Amino acid sequence: MIQLIQARAAKLKAWTRTWVFLIVLGGLCSAAIAYLVAETVRELRYLHSARSDNVHWVMSQAEVENLDFRNAVDLARIEPSSARLTQVGVRFDVFYSRMVTLGTASLYGDLRDIDGFGGPVAEIRARLDQLIPLIDGDRAALRAGFTDLSREAGEMRFLLRQATTAGLHFFAERSDQSRESFALTLMQLALFSVALLLALAFLLQRTLRIGAQSQLRGQELAQAYARLNVILETSLDAVVVCDLDGRILNFNSAAERIFDHAVADVLGKKIADILVPDHLRAAHDAGMTRMREHGEHRVSGAGRVRLEAKRRNGEVFPVEMALETAQAGEDQVFVAFLRDISRRVAGENELVEARDKALAGEKAKADFLAMMTHEIRTPLNGLLGNLALIGKTTLTPVQERYVRNMDISGKLLMHHVDAVLDVARFETGASMVREEVVHLGNLVRDIVHSQSSAAEANGNLMQWDWVGEAIEWVRLDGSRLQQVLVNLLGNAIKFTRDGHIQIEIEQTRESETDWLEFRVIDSGIGISDDDQLRIFGDFQTVDDAATLGSGGTGLGLGIARRFAEAMGGSIGVESEPGGGSVFWVKVPLVPADPPQSADQPPRAAQELPGQDVLLVEDNEINLELARALLVSLGHRVTEARYGEDAVAIASTHRFDLILMDIRMPRLDGLGATVAIRSGQGASRDVPIIALSANVLPEARVRFTEAGMSGFLPKPLTEADLRQALQRFAAATPHAQGAPASDPKAQLVARYARETGEFFDWLATGPEDMAEIANRAHQIAGSAAAFGQMDLRGVLARLEIHANAGDRAATVAAMAEARAVWKVAPDPVLG
Amino acid sequence: MRVIPFQIAARLAVVSFCLAIASAVQAQGPVLLTVSGDIAGPDAAQFDLEALRALGESDIETETIWTDGAHRYTGVRLSDLLDHVGATGSQITATAINDYSVTIPVSDATADGPIIAYEMDGAAMSRRDKGPLWVIYPFSSSSDYRTEVIYSRSIWQLDRMTITE
Repeated sequence: MIQLIQARAAKLKAWTRTWVFLIVLGGLCSAAIAYLVAETVRELRYLHSARSDNVHWVMSQAEVENLDFRNAVDLARIEPSSARLTQVGVRFDVFYSRMVTLGTASLYGDLRDIDGFGGPVAEIRARLDQLIPLIDGDRAALRAGFTDLSREAGEMRFLLRQATTAGLHFFAERSDQSRESFALTLMQLALFSVALLLALAFLLQRTLRIGAQSQLRGQELAQAYARLNVILETSLDAVVVCDLDGRILNFNSAAERIFDHAVADVLGKKIADILVPDHLRAAHDAGMTRMREHGEHRVSGAGRVRLEAKRRNGEVFPVEMALETAQAGEDQVFVAFLRDISRRVAGENELVEARDKALAGEKAKADFLAMMTHEIRTPLNGLLGNLALIGKTTLTPVQERYVRNMDISGKLLMHHVDAVLDVARFETGASMVREEVVHLGNLVRDIVHSQSSAAEANGNLMQWDWVGEAIEWVRLDGSRLQQVLVNLLGNAIKFTRDGHIQIEIEQTRESETDWLEFRVIDSGIGISDDDQLRIFGDFQTVDDAATLGSGGTGLGLGIARRFAEAMGGSIGVESEPGGGSVFWVKVPLVPADPPQSADQPPRAAQELPGQDVLLVEDNEINLELARALLVSLGHRVTEARYGEDAVAIASTHRFDLILMDIRMPRLDGLGATVAIRSGQGASRDVPIIALSANVLPEARVRFTEAGMSGFLPKPLTEADLRQALQRFAAATPHAQGAPASDPKAQLVARYARETGEFFDWLATGPEDMAEIANRAHQIAGSAAAFGQMDLRGVLARLEIHANAGDRAATVAAMAEARAVWKVAPDPVLG
Repeated sequence: MRVIPFQIAARLAVVSFCLAIASAVQAQGPVLLTVSGDIAGPDAAQFDLEALRALGESDIETETIWTDGAHRYTGVRLSDLLDHVGATGSQITATAINDYSVTIPVSDATADGPIIAYEMDGAAMSRRDKGPLWVIYPFSSSSDYRTEVIYSRSIWQLDRMTITE
């Protein structure tokens, strides 16, 4: 734009120069012509004025008059009559007058200047003057002088002849000069006229060209305007142009459509009245005022701005506006491009709503999973714990088999629950990789050992070995890797009968990275190509006669894939139906130094002296299980059933460790922890370990935030418990005390006593149904742990009826429970 | 030539006679100018200096190409003279002493037109000095008078005029 303007300016300058030049040229030509015309007129006037008179005639006339005079003298000499004498005077006078004229007239001034003329004329005049006395004298003297007069006249004629000749030459020359001068003037005039004509022609040509250019530009402008108009009119966006006062100057058809105003109705009207919604009017006016007074631009040139506008029917709708200022002649105008985005906004709102719903759904799913975790794992905890306890009692071979079967089923169930949890963990984005230094050989050996019995059960031979150089210590997420490998091994075992399963470990190098590759090779039934594509998805199972009844959740390989990817690796399969399968897992290889404590004996925990432990658990059974475990490890246990109790006990006694259940009525484990930590009690700084079936990571974060030191998942296992004690209790000074003499017997006695008390109380015919339900619940919870399953069943029914307020059913259930209690086996604890 | 009845001819003769007497009476000095042709009266009108003066004096101050510088010329206005003689023609044939002759159209004789000068700068003009009578146009007043034709009509040493159709 600037360059164009500069180019135009330069062009204009050049033009101006040309024009000035031409005008000056034309002016000069005109001046020259005017001068020459004046000159010509002057010369013409000179010719016209005939200042020269007819000199030749005058000269010859002078000669004639001289001859007349001489003739008159001669005639008078022959016959001197009075008349002839008079004639002599007259002729003298005429000749004299002629000579005076020649001698004095300005007309002959130039002529007189030449000697050949001036001299003879002066001579004649002088001679005539000398003759005057004779002419004017008396007649007698005149008569006597005729001879002299005649001679004088003859001599004068000779002189006159000289003058005439000289005059003729002079006038001939002057005439030539005059002609030449006039010719020259005319020639100059012609030349200048031609020059002027040329200049005029040039000007005309220039003017014509400018005219043509102007016409062309006019056409171009008209075309450009037409094009612009087409663009404006076909624009899908409304284009509204207004002046500084907000008066509408332009309103295209899209604007008409969007705002539902006819262009004729809005031209010249104020934008504020037509397009601006009432609630934005003040802001709009303020903006326009700012613009007018300070030239402050907030919206214009700021790109697309989202605003609201008003239709004719008063409907306010969202628009996207780009406002630009432009210079139209001397006035500043605003050009607003407006787009009706009401549909888009509605769409966006729908999307946001849908997203919110989806997010809420996800949250609900996560919540549901967390709930299920707890609700499933808690009873499972009880089941498996009790199974373990039963296994320690004296059982008949048949019972042992049942217990083992139950254990297998229970563990399978736990495995499924864990699988679902693993997915949930991923879906909640808690797939944190926890790297640690791992001894690869030990890891794989342990896995193989753990699976060997299953392998044997299917008649499979299982082996593992390194391919290439072995590597011992690496840094990776051991538990993840373990899960992946267990899953792959489990599958291999499941789908192979009487074959082998080979595990290979190899270091490889690919694309600048060292990898650790595990291959699980089986000679099993193989997988079809179609199945290979889908087995790594979620809930994908392969239905096959050989595996019927051994099916799983279909989550195993999906989880394995997630874990492998989370570790920065990959997983895959190569297989043919009937030709066995090779599952491989690749994870980045990060070699590590062996840890310092690697050579410590694994059973060091056994050497931990007895600890003073506060056990907080509302569920009687779980409480007893944990207590039994702790006691069996040689620790002293103080129990608390509720959070409030725990806080009270912890404030007066310093423990080595507190195990805290999370889900408790009233004050939960978190609240209790906060209370203990924030109080001034004796145990305010001892380690507090959470006991929870909720193993989702965000739960653990909450535990830590509440001030808990660690976490133990339910169901509680001896190994976990021992490890936690080893880790936390060792850090605090030991409280001294002797281990309980026979914790199990005490428990059994206590259970028997409480149960007896419960039935005694029931015999009193209590009216409080809630209390009945509550106490039935407590005893029922314990009954299962002490091997009185029938009793537990009827007590559970009693609890239900009591809760329902059904007195008749409650009384019936109470009687039944008493009957069952009477015949129940003695309470035992494994 | 018209045929004029006797009585009328006789009467005209009487009138002409009377006029002739009047002219003769006026021309006491030498006759400077004789006007003939289509004029009132049978005979030519003759004027001496006094008779010309009696017709009223007019002045023209002008340069001429024949003199040096501007001079004041005094004489009788040609139109006055023509009125006086009752000229009815359209052409004046003016003739000088040396028989130089030129035709002056009567239309030249306007109120500010030529005079028949008898004085230059208040002095009578002698024959030797283009006198005694000189037809002077007001050359200086207009370039229309500075043409060869006008110069040719500016006859000097004038002594007779004939008025013709």
